[in-house]
Amino acid sequence: MNLFRSEEHARRWPAFQARSEEGFIGLAALAGFFATESRHHMLDADYLSTWYPRRGEERRAYLELIGKTSPFWLGTPDPGTA
Amino acid sequence: MDRMFQRIMRGLVDTGRAPHYAELARALGLGVEEARVLLHDVMRAYPIGWLHPETDYIASFPPLNNLPTQYRITVRGEQRWFAQCGFEATSVTWLFPGETVRVDAPCLDCGDPVSVEMRDGRIVWVDPPGVVGHLNYGFGPSRGRPPFL
Repeated sequence: MNLFRSEEHARRWPAFQARSEEGFIGLAALAGFFATESRHHMLDADYLSTWYPRRGEERRAYLELIGKTSPFWLGTPDPGTA
Repeated sequence: MDRMFQRIMRGLVDTGRAPHYAELARALGLGVEEARVLLHDVMRAYPIGWLHPETDYIASFPPLNNLPTQYRITVRGEQRWFAQCGFEATSVTWLFPGETVRVDAPCLDCGDPVSVEMRDGRIVWVDPPGVVGHLNYGFGPSRGRPPFL
């Protein structure tokens, strides 16, 4: 999970996986993905018990909001690779 | 577990490094071995972080990393912190409310700089303007081994 100067830079990276052509995300969308409500509470006394468990559902909702609904992004079983 | 979690995160924010379990023991009023076992419980409950393999040393405690990465974090002119990865780097801003958090990393293709500044979740500066995030392995079952993000 890296930042690159552009998509072309990422594609030239020797470790670039062909499957990851769908793995690009704009910086603003990425910042939004990591700005869901639970993230605002990482310093709270109850973060681990109260906020961290909400993270997965928040992430899924955000990914759906920005149209990243493939197994690659959602982490759901991928029929294509089973 | 909440108390230990908060101590670790606060220690990282305040000093740039994660406390050792023996330090956590004193801070939390626990025996040293009790703290070591609790640390493992915390890491199991927070599996997006990890201990260095075969040790009790905290390697990664996202969004920050105890083991240096290429994602250098600067706050108030001090570069003390490292982000776990480029994605987590964008959430470090939430650990420093009211501060400008700068992320600097070399591009893995060319080595030229990638820089982003954020404040309270907002991107306030980015260079070059075309910076993108890239997920090389999918989340979930297809994800690579965590220590090799």
